Amino acid sequence: MTDKQKSDQQNSRKQGSGKQNPVLSPLEIVERAEAHPAAVPFLWLGSKKTQRNFIYIPLVGMIVFSILGFFYPVSKPAPWDFGFSYTVIGFVGYSFVVLSAWPLFRLLSRPENYYGEDDSVEEGEDA
Amino acid sequence: MLELFASFSPAFILIAAGVLAGFIPTSKSGSFISKVLMVGAPALALVCINVIYYGQTENTYLGGQLSFAGIELTTLRIDSLSIIWGYIFCFAGILNGIYGLHEKCKITDTSALIYTGAGVGAVFAGDLITLFMFWELLALSSVFIVWRGGPKSYPAGMRYLAMHILSGVLLLAGLVIYGRATGSYAFNNIGLDMPGGWLIFLAFGIKAGFPLLHNWIQDSYPRSSVTGTVILSVFTTKLAIYALARGFAGTEILIYIGAVMTVFPVFFAVLENDLRKVLSYSLNNQLGFMVVGIGIGSQLALNGVAAHMVSHILYKSLLFMSMGAVLHRVGTIKASELGGLFRSMPYTAVFCMIGAAAISAVPLFAGFVSKAMIITAVFENGHLVVYAMLLFASAGVLEHSGIKVPYFAFFAHDSGKRVKEAPWNMLTAMGITAFLCIYLAIPGTYGGMQYLYGLLPSEVAGAAKYNPYTDYHVIFQMQLIMAAVFAFALLKRIGFYPPERRAEILDFDWTYRRLGLSLLQWGNAMWSRLGAVIIYALRGMFGNISRRLYQVFSPAGALSYAAPSGIAAVLIAGMLAVTLFVVYFL
Repeated sequence: MTDKQKSDQQNSRKQGSGKQNPVLSPLEIVERAEAHPAAVPFLWLGSKKTQRNFIYIPLVGMIVFSILGFFYPVSKPAPWDFGFSYTVIGFVGYSFVVLSAWPLFRLLSRPENYYGEDDSVEEGEDA
Repeated sequence: MLELFASFSPAFILIAAGVLAGFIPTSKSGSFISKVLMVGAPALALVCINVIYYGQTENTYLGGQLSFAGIELTTLRIDSLSIIWGYIFCFAGILNGIYGLHEKCKITDTSALIYTGAGVGAVFAGDLITLFMFWELLALSSVFIVWRGGPKSYPAGMRYLAMHILSGVLLLAGLVIYGRATGSYAFNNIGLDMPGGWLIFLAFGIKAGFPLLHNWIQDSYPRSSVTGTVILSVFTTKLAIYALARGFAGTEILIYIGAVMTVFPVFFAVLENDLRKVLSYSLNNQLGFMVVGIGIGSQLALNGVAAHMVSHILYKSLLFMSMGAVLHRVGTIKASELGGLFRSMPYTAVFCMIGAAAISAVPLFAGFVSKAMIITAVFENGHLVVYAMLLFASAGVLEHSGIKVPYFAFFAHDSGKRVKEAPWNMLTAMGITAFLCIYLAIPGTYGGMQYLYGLLPSEVAGAAKYNPYTDYHVIFQMQLIMAAVFAFALLKRIGFYPPERRAEILDFDWTYRRLGLSLLQWGNAMWSRLGAVIIYALRGMFGNISRRLYQVFSPAGALSYAAPSGIAAVLIAGMLAVTLFVVYFL
């Protein structure tokens, strides 16, 4: 890191701590300008970091509700029910559906114009 | 005033408005009047239903009686089962009208009003003949909405029409056999054991999207226009659910048919790239839950069917509306070409996520309070395998409608598409629907759950006492949801989630669109060849015969020769012998 970059970084930290407008990269400026005003406060949803760390929300939720399942058991359980049975059903069921898409796609997919009725051309009313 | 309204079905208000909309000129003021009709006519029909049903003391109101060819027809029967369908159909008609305010299309306006009217008329039909009339009108009016999708929708529209005409023919055949056997055309519980019962059952099954009869839904709905798909998603299939609930409640085979319906679309939905087609498979899956409930036939199950029908119309419309808004602005609905649209269409993204939460049965969203009734009824009736299938299907619903649709349209990678937010009328329609998706799931004095449950057909034991908000139900449902979302995040992170790719996914319609067509073409070619061979063979045979005859009878032929009389005598004796044999022995 060059001295100039270091000083820029320090400046931006100072500005951030002083609750002034953060220094935005050119890309962020363009993104803000193009976005709908209501979406601007939520642009962080599209960042790589958010997408990478999103996994922790359902992970924590899954653990919490699995633990709660032991304290509030089902009143009329099915033979397979236990404290976190729905966690297992949800995880296995979902994964099975998604992973089955790999072989099924090979088996069932054909070119888009397979039936001779080209669906690749779409027309939105504004497009 | 009440007598005037009560003397005919409110469906005729909608149908008359539709016909009127067809004659209004396409000027600016004409378009305004047409749009007023689109919103006003369903609203008026809704008021009429309310006035008629609550203006009398009986549980069942019968009106609009006609005599046709000696048969008594009841065009208006409002009872505890049909009223909820009537309400939601009219309400959906209003929402569709608002959603389509921007669209200046006489065909859509006319067809949509008549289609809505046919749906309302069919649920209030007191007899099978009236049902048949509205059943056919429903098919004929809706096919124009399919065709509004442009040239690519014409073949799909023809297939749609063929399936619905087949359904109508089966219904007609069934009702004639049933009517002759029982002496009554009243539309009540029919059952499979009655003469014509299977034909009527199949007719209903086609419209309900039974497995192997389902392809018309995924074939036609995604090909219609932006507004058209939203309209189509409401009436036809839900009318079939009503017809099954009325005619075949408690029919055991429906439990297994419905269970299959809930599971198989999940696998197709995950493969599809067209998000409106994903929602069409999802529609099939949700209908499966209702069909299972009808098959169970208990009070709780039938209440669950009615509640889930209402929830489903709302959240599925909301999802189709949001995808329609995306198509309207972006020009494509292929998941492989979308992504990051929350930057441009934040309100649509929020409405879509509310619809996704509702269909995923997240607590405090509509699907939670309705689907639970059906699943509980299945469990209480001891169908554990079906129960397990429904749980698996619930995880599958999360994949295609709960996660895939909002994620690939509004999040995922940024497609770089920057468009305008949906028009105000679309946002208004989505906003109202989203509000209802939440409001109807809120318990307590100020919540809407009491109103939803208050409309359910069976007041005793089931609905009034059913409480979906028990601690264990909320916890276990959240377990299922959190685990599925975690599985999604994990599979995305490790790269096991399949990418969205453009392709045609083969389904059962391959049998008639490809195999059947190929067999037909092969048969035609074989018939042409066979015809040529037969003609060649016949020509050869007749040529030989004529040549032989010529050889025998012509002036130069064998019979013209001067033959010895001995040969003639032998010939005559032979002919005499043959004659005698024929006379005496044959």
